[in-house]
Amino acid sequence: MSPAKKLHVLEQEDFDRLIAWLDADPAGAAITYERIRWRLISILASRGCAVPEELADETIDRVARRVADIQDHYVGDKAIYFLGVMNNVHHEYLKRPKISKPPEAVDDVELKEKRHLCLDKCLDKLTANSRHMIEHYYAADKQAKIDLRKQLAAEFGVSLNTLRLRALRIREKLQICIEHCLQTQGL
Amino acid sequence: MPNPLNSSNVISDELIRRFLLGTLSESEQPVFEQRLISDDGLEARTRLIELDLADAYAGGRLMTSDRKLFEQRFLVTAERKGQLAVSELLRDRFSFAGAASLTTRPETKSFARRLAHFLGLDRRAWRIAFGAVILLILLGTVLLVIKEPQLPLVIANKIKPKRLVPRSLPREVNHPTNTASPEHLTTPSPLPPHDAAVQTAQRVELFPSPPDDKIPTITLSKAGEVLHLQLVITASPNPAYRAEVLTDGGQVVFSVGSLQAPPFNVDVPMNLLKSGKYQVRLSDARDVSKKEIASYYFFMR
Repeated sequence: MSPAKKLHVLEQEDFDRLIAWLDADPAGAAITYERIRWRLISILASRGCAVPEELADETIDRVARRVADIQDHYVGDKAIYFLGVMNNVHHEYLKRPKISKPPEAVDDVELKEKRHLCLDKCLDKLTANSRHMIEHYYAADKQAKIDLRKQLAAEFGVSLNTLRLRALRIREKLQICIEHCLQTQGL
Repeated sequence: MPNPLNSSNVISDELIRRFLLGTLSESEQPVFEQRLISDDGLEARTRLIELDLADAYAGGRLMTSDRKLFEQRFLVTAERKGQLAVSELLRDRFSFAGAASLTTRPETKSFARRLAHFLGLDRRAWRIAFGAVILLILLGTVLLVIKEPQLPLVIANKIKPKRLVPRSLPREVNHPTNTASPEHLTTPSPLPPHDAAVQTAQRVELFPSPPDDKIPTITLSKAGEVLHLQLVITASPNPAYRAEVLTDGGQVVFSVGSLQAPPFNVDVPMNLLKSGKYQVRLSDARDVSKKEIASYYFFMR
């Protein structure tokens, strides 16, 4: 366990209080929780932190433990409060001795096969238009790709930027679908 | 210097990209962080640009400096590693399909892709194995030719009479018993005008760059038969021509590299042709760039 994590263990009571503070509706609170966590991770990664997920979780744990003290008088965007706590956590991280990370395991063949199968399943869930767009958007290389995207944009009657945004949104759906598919396969 | 992150300014994609690669300036970084932590719209855009960045990395479209930043500053979370894995998956699955025409119906492509997937051709390991098999066949052929130097001559002799015998050879060679060859065998009767675009005969005269409504349509026949194409050309300054028969998708299905003088006769085995539009590209046989001299078209049905 990392030095940051072994300091405290989050109590269930603190976690429940955090969720209730974020949103009275548990489903809404879960979405807010995930969004704040994602933003903290992005900021920490941008700052060059090698373990952004770990520090984001430590930040959330600390906020959870403080909610009991602040919930009655805190005014404003709650996410800003997380950012302030994250700054402290990051500051402490920078003072820690640097531990080299062990080399990561090479992606195994079985996982790649499962990803391919999941991609098939997720492509099948797309509409014919979305599938057509994504297949052509990712087709070809370099100049051929640029030409193909121009043709595709003309075919759909949109600008290149709109095409890019649409393709990326479909790509985002695929990403979520594939991750979900891999999770259901126990990966 | 104006800060591009003033609250009134719209944040550009490039700025988001720099944030993700960790290259914002000291003054830009805290302002961007403040905006991101409380701006749902900026989060949504940042998520999309994350995917774009992973695609660009997987597609080899990042500069060396950005590739290093991507590996060191971006690729530090499990979620992003998953994004890169999917980017590579999409690249592997679709990048080789780039030459396919956009006019291809999605259902047809989907079937082709499914077939390729069923056969495992979209897997890198299979592609390598397939490449190795081709290499072995080539090596085997080279060894055979070295060991049996007369083999190319034997093959050439078998092929040459079929392709190079002029059509004006005496009919007696082929039909020694039939001294009264019917005239219509050498000069086919002209088709009725209303049927000009649909021919069932296996000998077709092609004119360069015809308008769409003048492109002849030929009916597919038995696999053993040959389609005789006669390419009409007005001038012939080159000593030798190359003719290539291409599908609508640009795939060469047949080529002849030694056409000497017009009229150019190209015999295409029927079993190489399927339904669809074909182009016959005529070029100078000595020109390695295969610069086109004339184009002819025909439909198969």
